Amino acid sequence: MKRFSFSAVLVLWSMFFAVAVINCQQQNPAKPQTVSPPVKGKSGEQIFNDNCLRCHTPPMAISPRITGTVIMHMRTRARLSQEDQQRLLKYLAP
Amino acid sequence: MIAGGAAYVYNVNGGVPTQLPQINPVLLVPFGSHFLLESRTSFTGFFQRENQTSGPYKGKVFKSVDYAQVDWLLDSHLIFSAGKYILPFGIYNERLVPVWIRNLQDSPITAAIGTRNSGAGDGFMFRGVAVQSPRYSVQYTAYFSARSDINQLEAARTAGGDTSIYFTQPRLEVGVSYQRFLQQRNINSVATYISWQPRTTPLDLKAEGDFSYNGRGYWIESAYRFQQLPVPQFARRIQTVARMQQFFPLHGGGNSLPTVDNHRVDFGLNYYIRDDIRLVSSYGRSFSSQGNANVWNVGATYRFLFPLWPGRHK
Repeated sequence: MKRFSFSAVLVLWSMFFAVAVINCQQQNPAKPQTVSPPVKGKSGEQIFNDNCLRCHTPPMAISPRITGTVIMHMRTRARLSQEDQQRLLKYLAP
Repeated sequence: MIAGGAAYVYNVNGGVPTQLPQINPVLLVPFGSHFLLESRTSFTGFFQRENQTSGPYKGKVFKSVDYAQVDWLLDSHLIFSAGKYILPFGIYNERLVPVWIRNLQDSPITAAIGTRNSGAGDGFMFRGVAVQSPRYSVQYTAYFSARSDINQLEAARTAGGDTSIYFTQPRLEVGVSYQRFLQQRNINSVATYISWQPRTTPLDLKAEGDFSYNGRGYWIESAYRFQQLPVPQFARRIQTVARMQQFFPLHGGGNSLPTVDNHRVDFGLNYYIRDDIRLVSSYGRSFSSQGNANVWNVGATYRFLFPLWPGRHK
């Protein structure tokens, strides 16, 4: 019975995942895939989306006074390169 | 500056209610452009009824320094950290533990693997990005921790590392962690993990498998936000979460791991009032030969971020 219950939950979980993916693909059929340009031309926004969103939702606003410190902290956490740190700083505190 | 998170969670595990308020301030002090002092302290309350299910709530607040380290941003590809640091084992301990980040408030069963004894190490760590190209980047971490029994600085003698490759276009990360526990019995622990956030869908999929002397297990978690669905604006702030996990003890389990096979499923429903304030709820069912149990969580989380000193007037 326990094995059956767990299998049923596994099936439900898989269905939930599949429905979520399919549903959103249907909602945005025409949305173009963003193609990452070479690293040299990578924008701060792309660096933000590629790294910060891996773990958490983005803050709506960061005080310009602390943006540099936040990005320094994120560089150590997300293991960003110095170039990415600088582009991110320009993006968040232009 | 001060950053961090705060939360209040009301938990019912097997019919026993617990109130878990907590606040985790992170202190960040930069020294020039190459040095950063960072530290996180946790104040966690644990309040249960006197007779578990009846009587007044009683408990205490636990204080702990989760980490306190100095980072030296040496080079574009190299960061040196020294002090008490979070053990970079798997994807959970270092990245998903903060209350405002985690999608489900209960930690995975395997979170105890590779994080003995306190989740942190005392010593030094090298980390950074080894290779970066338009299509992928490779990140690395290597560390050594000395044994310490000093209050608030407890750590085990360990050495290990982590490396992951991140594919830019599909936003897919695959990584592996290794740790050798170097006191009492020498133990090897390995974790493999995957993280995927597709570009076209607000889906967050994470999974981790852990292997150690005391047991092996895995967890898979998916979180989906309604922001693209054709629903009223208020409903687009909803996030659904599902996680399943299994754990199988080896050599009797122990060391904060279950001693019998354990299976667990959790379903969560979160609501983002703002990007920094979130209502959280979840229901889980735990299956083991020691008894099955329902686990409920209801609460709220808050992320804060503000300067340490008042701004100058111009």
